Amino acid sequence: MDLTPLWLSLKLAFMTTVILVIMAAPLTYLLVYVRFAGKSFFEALLSLPMVLPPTVLGFYLLLVMTPQGNIGRFWEAVTGSPLIFTFAGIVVASLVYSLPFAIQPMKAAFEKIDRRLLESSYVLGLSPLSTFFKVIIPNAVNGLAASAILVFIHTLGEFGVILMVGGSIPGETKVASIAIYEAVEALRYRDAAMMCLILVPISYLFLLLINRLTRRQIYGA
Amino acid sequence: MRRHISHVLVIALIVLGLSLPAAAGEKLLLAVAANFILPAEELTEMFEARTGIPVEATYTSTGKLYGQIVKGAPYDLFFAADEKRPNLLDEKGLCDTPFVYARGQVVVWTANQALCGAAGWQAVVKDPEVRKIAIANTESAPYGTVAMIALQKAGLWDALKEKYVFPQTVAQAFQYAETRSADVGFCAYSSALSAKGKKGCFYEVPEAPTAVQTACILKRTENRSAAERFVAFIQSPEARKIIEKYGYR
Amino acid sequence: MELNVSIKKKLPHFDLEVSFSCRKNRLLGLVGPSGAGKTTIIRILAGLDRPDEGRIDYNGEVWVDTEKKIFLPPQERHLGYVFQEYTLFPHLTVAGNVAFAAAEKEEIPPLLRRFNIWHLKDRKPDKISGGERQRCAICQAMARRPRLLLLDEPFSALDAVTRQNLRAELRALKGELSIPVIHVTHDISEALYLADDVLPMVGGRIVRKWMVQFMLKGRPPAQQRAAGDIDGYGGDSRDREDLSILYDSLKVMQ
Repeated sequence: MDLTPLWLSLKLAFMTTVILVIMAAPLTYLLVYVRFAGKSFFEALLSLPMVLPPTVLGFYLLLVMTPQGNIGRFWEAVTGSPLIFTFAGIVVASLVYSLPFAIQPMKAAFEKIDRRLLESSYVLGLSPLSTFFKVIIPNAVNGLAASAILVFIHTLGEFGVILMVGGSIPGETKVASIAIYEAVEALRYRDAAMMCLILVPISYLFLLLINRLTRRQIYGA
Repeated sequence: MRRHISHVLVIALIVLGLSLPAAAGEKLLLAVAANFILPAEELTEMFEARTGIPVEATYTSTGKLYGQIVKGAPYDLFFAADEKRPNLLDEKGLCDTPFVYARGQVVVWTANQALCGAAGWQAVVKDPEVRKIAIANTESAPYGTVAMIALQKAGLWDALKEKYVFPQTVAQAFQYAETRSADVGFCAYSSALSAKGKKGCFYEVPEAPTAVQTACILKRTENRSAAERFVAFIQSPEARKIIEKYGYR
Repeated sequence: MELNVSIKKKLPHFDLEVSFSCRKNRLLGLVGPSGAGKTTIIRILAGLDRPDEGRIDYNGEVWVDTEKKIFLPPQERHLGYVFQEYTLFPHLTVAGNVAFAAAEKEEIPPLLRRFNIWHLKDRKPDKISGGERQRCAICQAMARRPRLLLLDEPFSALDAVTRQNLRAELRALKGELSIPVIHVTHDISEALYLADDVLPMVGGRIVRKWMVQFMLKGRPPAQQRAAGDIDGYGGDSRDREDLSILYDSLKVMQ
């Protein structure tokens, strides 16, 4: 049986997780610590991918990622190749799709940090940027880990968005969820079952990890 | 007073719920291959106007529809894009003897005018400017299958592997090409003849076998008489004229 | 080395308006009921809050001047600040916490020893007692070699015995320091025990100096009120009101 779709899914999940955790940290910092006009609108916007049906999200992503769309055009200008129907394209789509899942646990972790710790840091001479790396991040490790795991499993299960902007190219954008879907449509139930059998324990394992991490937070590390 | 109102509401909901299946029973449900959407819409409209029987159709790839029917989807008629699947249904005893309702062609279509002066379809797909070629899923869409056969016959199937994009249906292949997400697409001839299609250009693909499109009445239908009327209508000269108007033979 | 403060700020329940100075080698006790604005003053001194109007300068260096739009951020004021709790970083050991602000690594062991926390150096803040934490917090603040030390109710969250011990330690420490120290508390006995100068505050204002002398007389408050002694010192009805509030919420040293 061809295992490429599974590798592709894992690769996609891994890349999305790494990029998103790094991207989400400063965004979460903004949401928690900085006051600015229109913050609630901004926050709602960032949460949008969580409530929109994936096909709606996929539709809009399709529009902006084609060579005529704003992002597609920009991407081609910078890299010389198209964004739609490429692995890079589904990474971009995954980043949008999973963004709120990266931000929520991080936000909870940041908010738990007593402001006086930050003030103590400022008085002791650290700039806000140094404080971010030396005080906030070390005290939010559990939240960061929860973010990473959540993004990982969420991306593994991604389907609707990738269907719309992926193009189902074997070895490039035909991830496990798409491969399973196409196998079922073609009545190749055994292939579908095999792939599901491998995905389920992986997802379960990560869920266990997340439970252990968050439980430690409740009882105090 | 309030209790009375809630009682009335419950009764109303039950009546509504009970009445719905009865209404559905009146309708004809068609499973139609994606390539045939344009003529099908015109034909069903005409049929409804003539007979007063409401018709609803689902348009997607033949393979998907076949899968659904085999699992018991409540369609009355199946209009496939090939012969294979209606024959399979016939063998399984799930439908009446299939009949041919159209013969279709796959073409290479592009919205990019710069690609319109080439010698033939092979020159177009080989063109380095063409980075993405949309082909409907070769497993579940017959138009994708014939496109693959054509490419294999021309010895290009492996060589152009990097360029393929596989939408789920041939209608989506046209959509990708039309929005220029893909530079060219293997589309149904009827798409090339549509209003949107006329804005681009197409190339015939002689290496691709004709899509002999067959249909059949599904044995589980509860509207046999309506279904038979529809079949008769499809085979009428009027209907044939419409079908041919969209490029089918 | 002198700290000069003159600030105004509009707060939800009253307007804060104070002027005072503090010299080196002096501990200034800011006393008053909770909500009198003491913490706000400290935060403004630290640069964590801004006054609506006013000026703060230290040894000639201007920290805040609202007219000239000068504001020096906390990082550059070089002070020490000890909160009631959450001063120490939970993710670092005691040694790590002290090292946070220390300029040189060599300074750390002597500092730890001086504050009697050497035996705690590898423990994390959640594994030591409240009193030990506050001692570590003071040590951490001193590691910065601050020019001014601010203590905001540092012992209020501790039990009575620990409080007594730490007060004594602080008094001893005070003698060795050559910087101004400002100590905020709602406990008058603590203030009188530690402070060289006392600034009583109620409702955002410093109440008149003669009240300090009044309180230092040490007579039971009920008696004083009954005897109408307040009148003997002059002052208007507002002062009398302030004094009542002060006595209602403070403990007077007998």
